[in-house]
Order: sequence, then C-alpha cells, then structure tokens
Amino acid sequence: MYDVHGPKNEDFMTILARLQRWKEQGAISAEQHAHLASLSRGEPFSLFLELNLLLYVGVLAFVAGLGWTVSTWSQQLGDVVILTVLSGFLAACSWYCFSRAPVWSPVETPAPSPIFDYVLYLGSLVWCVELAYLENRFHVLSGQWDLYLLVSAGLFFFLAYRFDNRFVLSLALSSLAGWFGLKISHWPTHQDAEYRQYALLYCVLVGVGGAILQHRSLKPHFFGTYLNIVANVLFLALLSGVFDRQGYGLWFFALLIACTASLAWGLTRRQFAFVAYAAVYGYVGVSSIFLRSVNDNTAVMSYFVFTAIAMLVLLVKIARRFGRPA
Amino acid sequence: MRIYSASSEETLRARQLLKDWTGDGFLTKEQYQRLEQETVSDLRTTNIFLRLVLFVFTLISISAAAGLFFAVSGPPEQAIGVFFLIFAAVCYAAAEFAVSQARLYRYGVEEALAACSVGFLSAGILFAFFTGSPYSPKLESLVPAAGAVFSLWIWRRFGLWYAFLAAMMFVVFLPGYWTSSHSAQHLIVAGFYATGLICVAAVRTRHRFDYLDDTYSLVEAFLWLGIYLAMNLKLSPSDLPAQWWSGTRATPEFARPFYWTTWVLIWCLPPIVLTRGIRQKDRFVIAVGAIVSILTFVSNKPYLGWPRHTWDPIILGILLTGVAVFIRRWLARGPSGIRHGFTAARLSAKDKDWMNAGSAVFGLLTPQSITPAAQTGSKDFRFGGGASGGGGATGDF
Repeated sequence: MYDVHGPKNEDFMTILARLQRWKEQGAISAEQHAHLASLSRGEPFSLFLELNLLLYVGVLAFVAGLGWTVSTWSQQLGDVVILTVLSGFLAACSWYCFSRAPVWSPVETPAPSPIFDYVLYLGSLVWCVELAYLENRFHVLSGQWDLYLLVSAGLFFFLAYRFDNRFVLSLALSSLAGWFGLKISHWPTHQDAEYRQYALLYCVLVGVGGAILQHRSLKPHFFGTYLNIVANVLFLALLSGVFDRQGYGLWFFALLIACTASLAWGLTRRQFAFVAYAAVYGYVGVSSIFLRSVNDNTAVMSYFVFTAIAMLVLLVKIARRFGRPA
Repeated sequence: MRIYSASSEETLRARQLLKDWTGDGFLTKEQYQRLEQETVSDLRTTNIFLRLVLFVFTLISISAAAGLFFAVSGPPEQAIGVFFLIFAAVCYAAAEFAVSQARLYRYGVEEALAACSVGFLSAGILFAFFTGSPYSPKLESLVPAAGAVFSLWIWRRFGLWYAFLAAMMFVVFLPGYWTSSHSAQHLIVAGFYATGLICVAAVRTRHRFDYLDDTYSLVEAFLWLGIYLAMNLKLSPSDLPAQWWSGTRATPEFARPFYWTTWVLIWCLPPIVLTRGIRQKDRFVIAVGAIVSILTFVSNKPYLGWPRHTWDPIILGILLTGVAVFIRRWLARGPSGIRHGFTAARLSAKDKDWMNAGSAVFGLLTPQSITPAAQTGSKDFRFGGGASGGGGATGDF
C-alpha cells in the first residue's frame, strides 16, 4: 500500500506548532497565540453542549413521566389533584419565564438564564398534557378537539416569538401541521388528495408567513426553520401526487419547479441542505415516473446505474464549483 | 497504512480551526486571509449535505450495477460468491483510486465505495464458501470475522469512523458461531472490545493534540459503549422486548454469579468512563459516560426484578436537570467561570449552531417521543396523533 504524499510526516505540523510559527512571523499577537493555543489544548474545556443536552433529556423524561402517570392514575388521583398539579407546573413555568424575560426585541435575543429555554419548553409540554387531559375528561369542545392544536399552535408561536425559542417554534410548527393533518381524518375518502391540498395549504401559510416575518425583520433567524420544514412537507406532498396513477402530470411538473427552486436557493444562499432536497426528492419523483410501467429487472437496474451515475457527475460538478465546506 | 498523509490531514484540520476562530472573532479577516494561504491542502472536500447525497447515489449506482450484472449474466449459484468477491476488489480498488488520483477526502464517493467493498466481501465469502455446503458454525464464523477485519482495515486506511462501528457490529455476531452459552457470548464480545480499548488507549496518547485525537476519541467512546452494552444483560436484544417493562427477574440461562457480576459492572462502568473522559477532557467519552449512567438508572429495576412505576421518568428527569443545573452553577462560581479546566460557558460559535439546529429538530421530534402508548378503555379518543405533528399533546387518557 502507498501513501498519497510520499514519505510520512514530511511537512507535518500540529496546530500548536503552527500557532508558534505564526506568532514568530508576527501573523498573530502573543495574546492571540496564548488564547488559541489554550483553546487547541482544550483549556478551558466547555461543557456547554453536554449540559444543554442533559437539560433537554431531563425535561423530556419529566414530561413523559408526567403524561404516563396522569394517564395511568387519572381515576385514582382524581381530576382535581391532576389539574391542580398540572396547572401548578404551568403557572410556575409561566411565572418564571415572564418574570425573567428581557424586554422584547425583534432581533435574536439571548436567554436571560441558562435554564430559561428549558423552563419555557417544559411549560409548553405541560400545557399539551393538560389540554389533552381536559378534553378527554370533560369533552369541552365535544369532538372538535383538533381546535386544541390550532390554539396550541397560536400560543406556541406567541411564546416562540416573545421569548426567542426555537424549541417552542418547532412545537408551534408541528402543532399547526397536526391541525392540518388531523382535519383530514374527518374525510373518509380521497384522503391522499385531501392530505395534499392541506399540506400545500400548510406550506403556503407557513412559507409566506415566515417570509413576511423575515421581511419585517421579526426574528429573522427563525426563517431557516420555516424554510426547512416547508421544503420537506412540500416535497412529500408533491411526491405523493407524483406517485398517483392518474393525473400525476401536474404534480410532476410542480415537483420539477420545486426542485429547480430548491436547487437555485441552495446554491445562491450556500444552504446545501436544499441542494440535497432537490437531488433526492427530484430523483425519487423522476424515477417513479420512468419506472412505473417498467417490469423488466434488467431495465430497472440499467436505469438506476445510468441515472445514479449521471446524478453523481452532476453533484460532483456542483460540489467542485460550490460545495466546499461552508 | 493510512492513505492520507499526516500533513494533509493536519493541514485540513488547521484550516478548519482557522475558519472557526475567525467566525468566533479570535482572528481578523485579514489574518485569516493571510494564514489561509499556509493551510492549502490538495485534498478535495465538500460539505456534509453534498457528502451525504454523493454517498447515497454512489451506493445506488454500485448496488444497481451489481444487480444488473447478475440479472444479465445469471451466473450459477456457485459463481455468485466469486463475483461478489470480485465486486469487493473492484470497489476497494476504486476507493483507493478515488483518493489517490481524485484526492477525495470525506467526499461520499470513496466512502460508499469502501463501504460497498465490506458488504461485497462478507456476502462473497458467505456465498463462495458456505452456500450449499454442510453447516459448520466454526467455519462460518469466518464471514463476520472477515467483515470485522476488513472494516478495521477500512477504518485505518480511510479513517472512516463508521467502519470501526461496522467492525464492532461484526464482532457481535462472532461468538454465536463458537458457543451456545449466552454468558460466554457476552464475555467474548466484551473481551474483544476491551482488547481494542487497551490498544486504542495505548496508541492515542501519542496523538493528544493532532488530527488523530478526534478519531481515537470517537473509537474509544464506541468501545466503552460496546463493553457496557455487552455487560448489561437487560439491554441485549434477546432480553429486551420481553423483560423491559414487565420487570421480571433474569432469564434462567445466565448463572447467578454471572448475572450479579454484570449488575455490579453496570454500576462500576459509568463512573470509570466518566472519570476517564473528564481526565482526558474527551467530549465523546464524557458523552458515553453520561449515556451509560442514564442506561444504568433505567435498567436497574429490571435487573433487580422490581416493577417499574409511571413516575420513574419523572424522577430521572428531575435527577438529570438537577445534575445539569448543579454542575453549571458550580462551574460558574469558579474564578472566571472555570474550575479544574472546565467551564459551562459557550466558547465556540459552532456550539451555538449545533444548539440552533438541535433545538429545531428536537422540538419537532418531541411530540412523537413523549406521547405514551395507547391506554386501554378509551379507544375512541386520541389527542395529538396527527399525521404530521401533534404539538406534543399526550392523549389517550
């Protein structure tokens, strides 16, 4: 076996040696050298990510246990106890967040304390548990229970924008998606077609809403979250149309437009997730059109060999031109 | 042994660090532009999304090419294995070529070629030597053994971390061919991982501050996790479904001394792993230490045969958040927010990017992950079971 670069360690220099050389060359100051060298040695070592992950898992475990306990022991504990406890948690979380939140600002705002985001998230999840309990026990909306999702989505959007919290923004977007999705269950037939329509409506609503908010500079850093969710829901909805046996032409055309737009967006903004969406969803859609009437294994395999290689060539060209690590 | 030269990989690492430091404001744009000239590498890299897509399409093209070959030529059954072995050789040669000639580095294409060579080799050995012949478990263990050895080679040669993971998975299948005793199987797997751990620990001290440190760190973390999972009888796949929630005592096939020794071990391993991670300031090992600690708490009751309670997750949640808050406050009270070389403060903009991406994804996943299983007696009602979301609503009361 051989090595790419001939003799090993010919020009090998660790980052610490490089920093020393750059300091001697005057490219960096002594202070910069000291700081960067200590960072390279892991001094100090930041536990920021680990502690945040621990908090997230802790909140998740707590709410999962709460939901499980409430659902299992509702008859033994009684409505009053359960609602008092859940409302107590909700009130405590709300009090903590509203009492400690800084003045609202349309730009990105750091959390006032390290646990702030998780208290807000805990409160949001407890809200969901309490609403579910209320409706199940008292049938307040008597069957129109999907309205709870709409109300929850509205509340979560407000909280996400008030406290600048991406966890809650994702909850809001998923609640809204749930509301659109759950509506479909009221229709016994043509669920796919209905689903697509509602999915597209959801995409338009969320996409346009996100764009307007970004245009007005209201938490513009949230726009990426909107866009990624909209792109995935849109592509899935269009693909479900392409997979239909009849009337798929329009959906296929729409898929091609969406892929082109996603590709253009990804390349111009250097957001390569959108290039990946265009490549994968587009390939699946085009393949389903080409292969739907093909039963011959050889033809199918040939198709995949040639098209996958064609995609590789195209993607390598894109990667060479645009795709250096950002 | 490694296909990339040390200087190339170290240069790429330096280039990435320069970019991070400039993003964090530790270097000026002018300094970055000047220093960037000294970190030019001839290796061709790309970003994670294109890497993934390139990997997938390379995998599709190779699989389809193999399928097409068999569909067109229809080789006899005995020859299938030989052709798989030829495919393995071709894929491996192509991976070497892609790196040596096209200078690809974590580009997806050479990775998929290397991954396919492992798959084809294992399938090739299975079909070439064991199809149609009488079952011989000891000989058939050559299949996972070859898979493990070749995966290790791919890991060493190309530095692909998931090749090491694949080798560890192949090792899991090995003892099943050698012994029917489940206790012995657990011990053999743990023994393999422990041997690997000793080797890695011995080697990595020489690479504390170079580009290989991350590689060895990840591998060490995998090995610790592997040892723990091999020793935790309540997490082994055969026991998992039946015993997890019922809280029944151990399966009778495990001798009592072995069973209780593993129980002691699952309590001993987390502090050992955490201590090792903290002493080494090793992010991956610390993470595995935290994971195995949680797994120990979660699997303790099934081990002891105690029934689970619905409030167990609540206690676990309080414990985890309590520990996180305590550590954060304790570190923050140190001089400049630092104690023993550790800080709870964010030092890199990359951490913030990770947090932003993670919070968006986790926020979407939460509604599904915390929704409890359907309860009996209220089948007519479901809250939060929407096809595309649910907002975290935990229904089915």
